Amino acid sequence: MAACGTSTPPGVGEPVTVVFWTPGGGGDFCARFDTIAKDFRKSYPTIHIGPTQCGAGDQEFTEVLLARIAAGNPPDATILWTSPAALAARGSLQPLDDLMQAAQYAQAENWPPAVLASCRFQGKTYGLPVTAGSCGLWYNLEMFEQRGIPADRDDFPKTWDELRRLSKEFTLWKGDRLEIAGFIPWHTAEDLPIWSALNGSQLYDAANRRYTLDAEPNVAMMTYAMEWLEQEYKGDFAKVMRSGNWEGHEIEGRQPVTMDQRQAMVLTYSWNISTPAYTQPMLRWDVARFPVGPGGNQAVAGYWPNWLVIPKGTRHVVQAFTWLDYLSGVGVKEWFRDFPDLPANRQVPRDLLPVALVTAKGEAFARDIMSFFREQLDAATPMWDSPVQDFATDQIKRALEQMLYKVAKPRDALAEAQKACQGALDKVFKTGA
Amino acid sequence: MALFPSWWARRGPMQRREARAGLLFVLPWVLSLLLLTAYPVLATFYMSFTDYNVVQPPTWVGLHNYRTMLTADPAFWTSVRNTAVYTLLAVPLGLVGSLGLALLLNLSVRGLGVYRTLVYLPVLAPPVASTIIFMGMFAPDGGLINAALQQVGLPALGWLQDPTWSKPVLVILSLWGLGAGALIFLAGLQEIPQALLDAAAIDGAGPWQRFRYITLPLLTPVILFNLVIAVIGSFHVFTPALIIGGTTGKPLESTLMFMVHIYRNAFRYFAMGYASALAVVLFVAVLVLTFAIFWSARAWVYEARG
Repeated sequence: MAACGTSTPPGVGEPVTVVFWTPGGGGDFCARFDTIAKDFRKSYPTIHIGPTQCGAGDQEFTEVLLARIAAGNPPDATILWTSPAALAARGSLQPLDDLMQAAQYAQAENWPPAVLASCRFQGKTYGLPVTAGSCGLWYNLEMFEQRGIPADRDDFPKTWDELRRLSKEFTLWKGDRLEIAGFIPWHTAEDLPIWSALNGSQLYDAANRRYTLDAEPNVAMMTYAMEWLEQEYKGDFAKVMRSGNWEGHEIEGRQPVTMDQRQAMVLTYSWNISTPAYTQPMLRWDVARFPVGPGGNQAVAGYWPNWLVIPKGTRHVVQAFTWLDYLSGVGVKEWFRDFPDLPANRQVPRDLLPVALVTAKGEAFARDIMSFFREQLDAATPMWDSPVQDFATDQIKRALEQMLYKVAKPRDALAEAQKACQGALDKVFKTGA
Repeated sequence: MALFPSWWARRGPMQRREARAGLLFVLPWVLSLLLLTAYPVLATFYMSFTDYNVVQPPTWVGLHNYRTMLTADPAFWTSVRNTAVYTLLAVPLGLVGSLGLALLLNLSVRGLGVYRTLVYLPVLAPPVASTIIFMGMFAPDGGLINAALQQVGLPALGWLQDPTWSKPVLVILSLWGLGAGALIFLAGLQEIPQALLDAAAIDGAGPWQRFRYITLPLLTPVILFNLVIAVIGSFHVFTPALIIGGTTGKPLESTLMFMVHIYRNAFRYFAMGYASALAVVLFVAVLVLTFAIFWSARAWVYEARG
């Protein structure tokens, strides 16, 4: 292990305590790391991982982390739920390239390139995407079979037009209430890069440091979605949202309508499949690849990582990285058992299965589903790689709301968001902060 | 400096000892005022003229942040508008509501202590918890309020998913804290001499006349206090707006309040310099408004003389 900074190599010299944080996590998520730390200590007796700090209490995690970095006493390592590129652009994180070269698991070639891109800024790597939940289109097998529609994964729609035609077979309104939805077209900012890539475009061009929100294929993508909403969902997104939670996972205490067989198809991420919404015994489902848009020719997928980073100002850089390397290749297996965030490192065995899914649906089904999500991760499009990620997400959310509530046309809304995002991006690269 | 030595010199040893003791007693408060209030305020003022991302040293940019605010940040005007509308709705409703509650709590009825406790209890609820409860109550699908509306044949509303109704819901949520103002009004009501009210009653004044010509004028100093506190509080609305609307002020930026705009610039966009400029503008706006209220008080606040 290369020695960096003032830290001594692990296994040599006096014992060191590494302070490790997470932004939070329900259930036993945080306690799980204490278990992993005990196993880690057997391999590295001089590196003690302190009790995992779970969230920042009543305060917002990033706020507390930034304050600690600014004050010069940050944690030695932390999980991030927000893109490391943004923090790296502000000089808040330690570059890891030298450490990764000599790592056991975290070498650059062991990560999917599109996923590792989310940790890179100006040619340097500032984080490890220890898990990267990929996504696919979930669909209800029983609803398909009731309507005599072929339910095999290979028969699933391959194009947006096919998906749209299929969706109409299911959608049912009762007055102003949407009783059943087929598929509700893209309307969340975090997933939009996927749909843009499926239409042959992108939202952010990292190589050229440019946003391309208002590129013609993206305008066409949103125009397509608005026409779909108009024709199948009465053009009233507010009525759709009033009728239920259509997002495929719990939101603010509201269970997804998938549990009540009111939705035929929805975009879902791999970590959702162990939740009660998906492990109900009577609910039969499968997942399929994304269909391609009129401007695209490749069925890509998306992902949403947990990132491991070392803040600037850490006292024990080498020891902290040793812990992160261990988490990437070994600890993540224990993590995955109850929290199926997909391990992104290629050295992690690909036959890991989430316990809850095996219990609910059987080992064969779980194996098939996890194999699918791993293939999806290999087909992931670059995401989360902008140094103004959070600002851009808010601008895209604003643009989407303007379109969905018919305050602005797609071209105008995207143009406004493009101007704001490019301005913020130019400022970061101009000032270096 | 010339004054101090002569003032000190004119004092005898006993007075000097007492003065020294007094200064020592207020020293902790003075230090905390300087370190925890004055220094952050001055630092914020300085940061407002810089480009600062918390981690790296600030860079002087002069009036750039203020120019951006006025000419290149549409969300600034949106948040100003939202906060103004919220204030115009929440403050009068809050004052009238808490005065009404106080009048009821000033009656001689059995179990008054219980009622006063119940009225004040919501004030003690953590703002996050009460906001989440309200979100559940106002959920468009399956919420208590829409269920009640539909029971009486009225249509369900979008509430927090409808830009028209999201701010009114925030205002209704603010009324959860009526008990605090009611308690202060109650103290004011109990200061009103009963003899005045009795004399007015003997002279034939009805309840409304006694309230309008005796109670209300004598209550104006308390109204002034509650008004100033309510205005300052409404400009600082943050927790409910952030929980309900997130950092985007959804839906359609209708819940984007000024404090949320400051917060997201500081901690989500790492633009602490710009956020400081926004904070300075908020400070000046609240200061001007407070002075205006106090200046207007000469015309409508009763002051007992002699």
